[in-house]
Amino acid sequence: MPAALHGDVTLTDSSAQSRARALNQFLAGVELKAFKIAQAALRHEDDALDAVQDAMLQLARAYAGRPAQEWKPLFYRILENRIRDMQRRRTVRGRVIAWLPFRGEEDEDDPDPLSQAPSPEPQPVKRLELDEAMGALEQALNALPRRQQQAFLLRTLEGMDVAETAAAMGCSEGSVKTHYFRALQSLRAQLGELYL
Amino acid sequence: MSPVDEPLTALERNARTVLEEGVQRIDARTRSRLNQARHAALQAAQARRLPRWRSLALMPAAGAAAAALLVAVMLWHREPGGELPLLEGQRSAVEDLDLLADSEGLDLMESGDGSFYEWAVAQNENGESNG
Repeated sequence: MPAALHGDVTLTDSSAQSRARALNQFLAGVELKAFKIAQAALRHEDDALDAVQDAMLQLARAYAGRPAQEWKPLFYRILENRIRDMQRRRTVRGRVIAWLPFRGEEDEDDPDPLSQAPSPEPQPVKRLELDEAMGALEQALNALPRRQQQAFLLRTLEGMDVAETAAAMGCSEGSVKTHYFRALQSLRAQLGELYL
Repeated sequence: MSPVDEPLTALERNARTVLEEGVQRIDARTRSRLNQARHAALQAAQARRLPRWRSLALMPAAGAAAAALLVAVMLWHREPGGELPLLEGQRSAVEDLDLLADSEGLDLMESGDGSFYEWAVAQNENGESNG
């Protein structure tokens, strides 16, 4: 969605205003992909939304003044830290809940009508192929170790280069290449070439 | 895009297509919530910036208050040294007290020759006749 459609924040200072506009444009450009990456890691929609929201807040509060080209690796680094925190907390919570004698099912709300709203869709046959490929890829991605999954998604979905991915993951470029290569091997073993 | 910057493999190309399709299919509710989150983040960044502007706006008032405080402190410190003007008689009484307290004055009295006092009286008389 173009940034102009996302609205602006009123600021008194023109340079601050242009920076806010640039930040708005940046966040608008990454938010959907970031959500998918967080969702792949957390496998929970609300948690993924929370993680992305926290990452946006922290980037805007602490790093808005940094050069714009640094925003993407910083944002994904923050997001990754947030995801890791949530995974740790979930592990602890899971251990505690496992000890409780009576535990109800997770609260299952009625489906939100908005969530059922159709998005722009391809033709039915193509859609079916994509559905199948998407399901297979999602399953294969879920089976990957977290670092391999992260390297694969940052490079393939977000289109980050090795250096940016290394900055976002907080590791060396060599590690990124290794994680990515292993991810590709695993995916190829499960999916072939994922023909569409 | 590949690990060693080679051309994309079919798997990578297809995976990207599928993942991008997944992004396109994100529902309206999630998009709306992400949009709200983004605006909240931008407003938080703006709110963080505002106090600095506010403090700059308050600079003249703060400067005036600091100057007033400085003047008050200076006056307060100056007050003990700021003696009230003494009357002529009071000044001489204080000086006499100093003389009496001074052991040298007693020495002059005890020496007994009275030459100093004669000189002092003469000086006084000369002063009065000249004045």
